[in-house]
Amino acid sequence: MSSRRVCQRCSTLPASIQRAPAPLSARIAAKRCFTLSRTKQPSKSPSDNPPLQNKRRLSSLESQGQRASSEYVAPPASQQPSQSPHEDNSRLLLKPDNLFHSFSNSPSPEIRRRAAFMKQNAYCPHPAHAQTRQPIGPHDLEARKTGTHPPAHVRYECPDCGIPVSCSYEHFADDYENHLDICDQLREINEDDHDLRSGRFFPEFEYPGPQLEEAQVNMTNWDTLLYTREFNAIDNERSLRQATRLLTYPITIGSVIHELSPYNIQSGGRLTPEGLKSMTLRYTLHPPRSGAGMTVAGLRPNPPPTRLFILGARAESSLPREVWIQLVHLFPRAIFHLIFIGPESMANRDAEFPLPPRTASNPFGAVVEDRISGQMKISTFVEYYHTLHAAGAFAPYDPYFDAFVLFHPGLGHPASSHEWAETIPQLLETKVPVICTGYTEYDMQRDIKWVHDTVGGEVDMLLEPGENRFRSLRWDLNDADPSDVSCGNFGLWAFRGKRYETTRKDVE
Amino acid sequence: MPLGRIPQSSYYDARNRPGAALYRARQPYLVKNAVTGLFIIGFVAGVYSWTIRAIGQDDFSDVPMPDAPIQAGHAPHTTAGSRSAGPA
Repeated sequence: MSSRRVCQRCSTLPASIQRAPAPLSARIAAKRCFTLSRTKQPSKSPSDNPPLQNKRRLSSLESQGQRASSEYVAPPASQQPSQSPHEDNSRLLLKPDNLFHSFSNSPSPEIRRRAAFMKQNAYCPHPAHAQTRQPIGPHDLEARKTGTHPPAHVRYECPDCGIPVSCSYEHFADDYENHLDICDQLREINEDDHDLRSGRFFPEFEYPGPQLEEAQVNMTNWDTLLYTREFNAIDNERSLRQATRLLTYPITIGSVIHELSPYNIQSGGRLTPEGLKSMTLRYTLHPPRSGAGMTVAGLRPNPPPTRLFILGARAESSLPREVWIQLVHLFPRAIFHLIFIGPESMANRDAEFPLPPRTASNPFGAVVEDRISGQMKISTFVEYYHTLHAAGAFAPYDPYFDAFVLFHPGLGHPASSHEWAETIPQLLETKVPVICTGYTEYDMQRDIKWVHDTVGGEVDMLLEPGENRFRSLRWDLNDADPSDVSCGNFGLWAFRGKRYETTRKDVE
Repeated sequence: MPLGRIPQSSYYDARNRPGAALYRARQPYLVKNAVTGLFIIGFVAGVYSWTIRAIGQDDFSDVPMPDAPIQAGHAPHTTAGSRSAGPA
């Protein structure tokens, strides 16, 4: 690989990483000059965090944010990425065959902190205990609890998966069949977490640049997508899981709005005819050639950018911008404006505080990143969407240019559904497609049910709910409830407000 | 040996054998491609066999052949006198 020039700021990164109390500052600085340097930081540190909303799933987001600086000794910024393996091994904390450790006895202090958190917050799921909260659904283990024992925090770690799942050995042995259902997944989560902190070189986080327009992308599944997008080959399944965990966000959006989308109107294709009508975005994203060139004679009028409003943004707003640029590379002649909206949209982005002042030209104090690429601009609003809609901040909405994306919004989740109650009718009013994902099948169905209950028959389904082809392959653990595993963007569906071309008038 | 490295795809290993990622990427198309391949090869084999049969010798076993003429003492295969070469 050629040597990479490093800007002045990035060359001072290693020292700042170890010193800074807010370790993400260094990563954010790296992100800002990412076009100049590609330092081998484990740049996904904030984005490793599962997109957990604090209200719905207690998470150690803050503690996870501390992870990068405390553990990984970053190589100096000028180091060539194509290090010989011998030098890498000296920095390796965990060898690939040594990735399974019980959480409490983990070599990584961050994971030990997580284990301590679990032991203080998670309750034993054995039915003999009394309930501590309302069961969230029929599959929630809380629903089984009918006993009178006082609730006890988990202390006993399963020897096979290393995660504290029960309060005592007796309860663990008693409940073993239920645990066996998820033991393998928990072990995989355990090993993946240790792998992320193992200090190895992560070739799977090297993303390719734009490609020839005629080299079409195949969106059948992750493997064909990565191959046709000219990613470096990811042979190892663990590496594939780590990579897809981040890439799921841009690629899920891309898989729905691209003209070569795997969802079609044949039976089993999940796209409804209304959905096909709503994919008018494709006219903007795949424009016909206009004869544009680099000279004055090649000047052509250009359409406005495609606006993707990502509502309820939490961890996805802190994803490295190289990951979001992958969305742009799927559409060679389109430009994008990503707008992250939500009260938690600056999660894990502490280095970018304080927010810009509210001025007439920026009435909501949005953080605008317009130097990422010639084809993408990202704005972040720390506001509820209904405030911005009422203020007309983005009006008018045009289904040829706009789409809403909701990543695991928790529409039906009891802790967050009241926040969405005001927003959803406004989204329907815009008649613009709304793409939603969900953590699990149950989560998704609950959201759909809530939407139907709240707004009745005013909703047209564009994409039938089902498993997302481009879901994260890596499973995440909920620190507040170790038996709750989910993966990013597991389910996918889309809706839109009903459009009435003609309405019936009652003839008396 | 050229100065720059010969570009090499990461989907093939050092000995140019396909790697695991390439097998996974090809996996949805394996069966369909194999069946299509069989059809093509079968079609070609069919065309070849029909053509070669078609241009083969005809089978005259159902035609009654007269007996060979009885000729004694002739020198066989003398063509100079017995055949005229057309108008001289």
